[in-house]
Amino acid sequence: MTGEDPGPLIRLYGLTGGRARPQGESFDLMAIVITVGDSPQPGDLIPEHRAVLSLCRRPTPVADVAAHLRLPINITRVILGDLRRDGLVSIERPRPVAQTIDERIYREVLDGLRSL
Amino acid sequence: MGYAVSDPGTTRAPSALAIKILIAGGFGVGKTTMVGTISEIRPLHTEELLSDRGIGVDDTSGVESKTTTTVALDFGRITIRDGLWLYLFGTPGQDRFWFMWDELALGALGAVVLADTRRLQDCFPAVDYFEQRGIPFVVGVNCFDGARRYEPEKVRRALGLGNHIPIVLCDVRRRVSVKEVLTTLVTYAVKGV
Repeated sequence: MTGEDPGPLIRLYGLTGGRARPQGESFDLMAIVITVGDSPQPGDLIPEHRAVLSLCRRPTPVADVAAHLRLPINITRVILGDLRRDGLVSIERPRPVAQTIDERIYREVLDGLRSL
Repeated sequence: MGYAVSDPGTTRAPSALAIKILIAGGFGVGKTTMVGTISEIRPLHTEELLSDRGIGVDDTSGVESKTTTTVALDFGRITIRDGLWLYLFGTPGQDRFWFMWDELALGALGAVVLADTRRLQDCFPAVDYFEQRGIPFVVGVNCFDGARRYEPEKVRRALGLGNHIPIVLCDVRRRVSVKEVLTTLVTYAVKGV
């Protein structure tokens, strides 16, 4: 990503219809995206949408989706917001850290780090 | 792994947990190196689109070689198990990207402030930032080749850190060292010690 060629920017905003912000409630980089299993995929999905639906069959954080798509975070958010609006993915809001990291998870993280 | 997906509208236990840790510190102090040393994947790269974006190369070969930076977000991942990950985000090294810190800091477990004893003052803004927001952090003193070795207590005094804040001497190129920094942070953030 070097140089000042505006082409990529134009293409990127083409993916979102020129929108810079996602539909609906905002979501964090660590929010978990999950493809909604039983919804039929519309036939007219763009490749980026298909890629998300395929990747997020396993729960995947937003940041990973962006890296996988090789798209900027805010473009990725617009795409994810559209997919959520259409009922194709769910996006779980991360809970406060203090509520999520109990003793068991703390131990798992420490053991995991030590065994790297 | 069977991740049963129920009705999207219903409340259910989180299927997965991604824990965010920030790696902060001055320009060129070794943030990207630290992420790369411990990440199981090549650091993933994404970016925010800005109207005024800096484009450049973020290496750590030396401060002098840094002329520009990016608003790129480079992050690494450590999988603890299926559905439990640590994500390490290097914070943008330039002051004009402070607005991105707020987003990154939201919901973070804690932060590592990397310090270079040759330019300790470079990490003051990061220390201030996390102190003001009550985000747990530890200070990792990156012991570069040729850098003067400092006693942790001297660093503590120089940075005006309270006695409770852990200071770890480290070498961000060495995995075992980065592991120690991270386990120190996780314990401090969760247990307060």
